[in-house]
Amino acid sequence: MPRFFLHIDDGTQRIEDEEGSELLDLDAAREEARSAARQLWASAILAGHDIEAHRFVITDNDGRVLETVPTDEALPKRLTGRLGI
Amino acid sequence: MAFNNRLLRALSPADQETLRPHLRWSELERGTVLVSPDEPIKHVWFPESGLTSIIAMAGTDQGIEVGLAGRDGLVGMPLVLDADRTPHRIFMQVAGVGYSIDGDLFRTVLDNHAGIRKLLLRYVQAYSTQTTYTALSNATHTVEERLARWLLMSHDRQDTDEIPLTHDFLALMLGVRRPSVTIALHSLEGLGFIKATRGLVLVRKREELEEFAGAGYGVPEAEYERLIGQLR
Repeated sequence: MPRFFLHIDDGTQRIEDEEGSELLDLDAAREEARSAARQLWASAILAGHDIEAHRFVITDNDGRVLETVPTDEALPKRLTGRLGI
Repeated sequence: MAFNNRLLRALSPADQETLRPHLRWSELERGTVLVSPDEPIKHVWFPESGLTSIIAMAGTDQGIEVGLAGRDGLVGMPLVLDADRTPHRIFMQVAGVGYSIDGDLFRTVLDNHAGIRKLLLRYVQAYSTQTTYTALSNATHTVEERLARWLLMSHDRQDTDEIPLTHDFLALMLGVRRPSVTIALHSLEGLGFIKATRGLVLVRKREELEEFAGAGYGVPEAEYERLIGQLR
């Protein structure tokens, strides 16, 4: 299985995923990012942090950027609509 | 030769000599499964170094860590409690070395040597305190606080400040997805408590890490020292 790296860009810096994960394909990597985003939001809300600017930068083994996934994709649509995000 | 395992070390010289001829030294590679779920336990291990992880299984290939044992403990606790198996899976999470003893022989030794039996029962009590604080931590603490606690518990069980752990393992330990581990490590690093590099976490400020971990760390460790002796 290919290895994907899910780096986290917090708006000011990139938090490196140094080890990566073996995932089936880019779709699986995207899904992993979405699931992780739900978890990050849950923790952030509990701690009173805002992670609206956070996004996942998915790269391959050679460091090529394959996709960027904003974490607010994890938020329920009704909520994002109300917040005007 | 002196033992590094804290339980073997805490035994009286006579009890040590009772066990010594039956102990077999082995190297334990990372990933070695010491106990499989629902299978009769054939050997008991006393780790001299390395870390074992006790996993509560959710299905056949998933689970979460519920306990940690290294040179402080033994693997095969059900045999101390007159049970022959456990639903848990126990494997080497950090490679090390340790002594094993045949399970039937171990039971006979326990039947005949109250000093050994009593010490190991006190260890079960200390270990059970650890798992209750894991429950407390899982229910009330942030991923960062739980990571801090977990790093301290690993640090207690080894001689160096470098803990060889991959993010995959940490995710299993903490029951979270890997990006949560990446962020939690980054936070603790930002506070200057640790330095995380690929597959390795260096503990830099232990006292601060203890303070940060809060109520999750300290009580089980004090209980261990009260019941058994020096942990670190």
